[in-house]
Amino acid sequence: MSAPRKWLYVTGVLALCAWVLVPIYLIGLGAMGGRLAVFKWPKAFAPGEASFAALATFLKIEGVWNAALNSLIAASLTMLFSILLGAPAGYALARFAFRGQSAFRLLVLLTRAFPLAILALPLTVIFIRVGLYDTPFGVSLIHTALALPFAALVTASLFMGIPREYEEAAWVFGCTRWQAFRKVVLPLALPGIAAAAIFAFVISWNEVFAASVLTVRERTLTAYLLTVLSESPLHYRFAGGFILIIPSVLFIFAVRKYLFAMWGVSSK
Amino acid sequence: MKTLNHLAIAAIAAGAMFAAPVAKAQDLVFLSTQLRPIDEAQKVREVLLKGAPKTTYVVEEPPQFAVRMKAEQAAGKRTISLMGALHGELQPLVPAGSLDAVDDIAAKLGASGIPAGLMELGKLGTPNQQYIPWMQATYVLVVKKAALPFLPAGADVNALTYEQLAAWGKAIQEKTGQRRIGFPAGPKGLFARFVQGNLVPSYTGSMVTEFRSAAAEKGWADFKALWATVNPNANNYNFMQEPLMAGEVWIAWDHIARVKDALTAEPDQYLVVAPPAGAKGRAYMPVIAGLSIAKDAPNRAQAAAVIEHLLKPATQLAAAQEVGFFPVVDAPLPPDLPAGVKLLADGVAKTQGAKDAIVALLPIGLGDKGGEFNKVYFDTFQRIVLRNEPIRAVLDAQAEILRSLMIQTAAPCWAPDKPSQGACPVT
Repeated sequence: MSAPRKWLYVTGVLALCAWVLVPIYLIGLGAMGGRLAVFKWPKAFAPGEASFAALATFLKIEGVWNAALNSLIAASLTMLFSILLGAPAGYALARFAFRGQSAFRLLVLLTRAFPLAILALPLTVIFIRVGLYDTPFGVSLIHTALALPFAALVTASLFMGIPREYEEAAWVFGCTRWQAFRKVVLPLALPGIAAAAIFAFVISWNEVFAASVLTVRERTLTAYLLTVLSESPLHYRFAGGFILIIPSVLFIFAVRKYLFAMWGVSSK
Repeated sequence: MKTLNHLAIAAIAAGAMFAAPVAKAQDLVFLSTQLRPIDEAQKVREVLLKGAPKTTYVVEEPPQFAVRMKAEQAAGKRTISLMGALHGELQPLVPAGSLDAVDDIAAKLGASGIPAGLMELGKLGTPNQQYIPWMQATYVLVVKKAALPFLPAGADVNALTYEQLAAWGKAIQEKTGQRRIGFPAGPKGLFARFVQGNLVPSYTGSMVTEFRSAAAEKGWADFKALWATVNPNANNYNFMQEPLMAGEVWIAWDHIARVKDALTAEPDQYLVVAPPAGAKGRAYMPVIAGLSIAKDAPNRAQAAAVIEHLLKPATQLAAAQEVGFFPVVDAPLPPDLPAGVKLLADGVAKTQGAKDAIVALLPIGLGDKGGEFNKVYFDTFQRIVLRNEPIRAVLDAQAEILRSLMIQTAAPCWAPDKPSQGACPVT
């Protein structure tokens, strides 16, 4: 690489890193600085008296751990259901020609077309009657309905990218359709399916409206805290933002391999 | 094959496990639209509900609150026993039949000194007590002491008029180059209350009837002049305590609970004064939050006990100190209040005790049309002040919307308008 090109490359890398890291740093500063430091300008580079008071208060709020657990349960179930239902739908879309296929492809998106606020009242009534009200399982059903279109469409394009010939070869060697799928297609599709699952997880984790209307005691974390975060003092908002960033950064770090696979970048 | 089967079984089992009704001890569920911010909700749980029967305190934004109450009623199964909400949020629950009359609790509390007028508001226009007044608050003007040197000659900071406020803002702008007056005109701000409860009644002595009068026209013209000295960020402000603490704003109007943080953080920096006066007087809007019990509440006796606990003088004073809402019962504030709360208490006293005070009540009898009512006032502000449309034409157009709203709801006039037979007229 020539010198100017190298220089350009390094600056580019630095700029991209700063693009991500500076806001995170500022949020961290706000979270630790305390009530008044949030409003100071210019900011000190390091927090003068780093205090974890706001962060600690956050974690000590009654019910916050229960809410986190509910979030985790709801998001995991959402992930499970949307893959169990979405992947077969995606496979069918990719492999079989059937009448109304393109209409189906479009209609699958329809669950996203209804504003949840309008459905909220009848949904809540039904959930109360059926006994799903105020359970993470009930919340995960709604979230599955929201995540399903993406799961179906993402997996459909995934299966389309795996040549049909591989499967046919497996059939020739005596596999049943199901065995061919499991032994040949599934291993190839797994990273993409994992990415779709992560996407479903995130949709559920971030959804507020359904989660807060359908629960009272068993709130998810977002419904329990984040709806009120925007009305809380600034340093609490920073603390809340900081606490939310950490798990997602760790999570993305843990699954980066699959994400790269989805984008077609190889990783070591 | 096997693993996938196992996975499916595990999924079904997991689903069944979580679907089973969670058999928790039957705590009382207390759902509130008030005291929502994290630190305030925590104060409720740790301080205000200490010593009360075991209670799960859950907060909810007003739209979700209404949906949930309706849904539980339609499904015929209540989870929530006790509700805490503003007067105007409880009102629509009366025609829906979601509230249980609380005359028995009102009778028990008779001696605690809740003013008769407040108790009467709690009947929401029915013969029975629908809610018990819980806490009250109002809107005040907070002034940073740094602004005092620029106060125009002859103006008394404790008895400002809108013209003087405008002149003050102008003086600050000329000397410091900054527009330092602030209003919470952001998406979650309470600016519509300023227009309804302060601006319009101060000039007209009325909230509804005189909406398009010549006096109102003058008020809007004055306010438009004042807006030229208001910080251009005002359309993003929701809680004025933040721009005050950041030093962006020196003079701010807001709900006392929404400036409390600034005052408690730096009490020696601020004054709290009554809102400005117009031609007819100094209008202010008292805010009342009430406690109500749901019809067919799973836990009525316990809910009643919690209401009684929250209305004990000691709890009421704790609420004043911790969250900045003031007592409805007869409980004199102790002299050793924290400095910030004392500022607020004095500010409220000044507002209520002003010689030219006009009480402008929260809308009564609009049912679920309260939001549309607010929109009339906010739209009027937007069109006149922000979009620069001619005042007369806007007032005439908005008055039509207001009139049809009043006819639709058939709401009779409330203070400061004179009582009416039938829907409150818009002249």
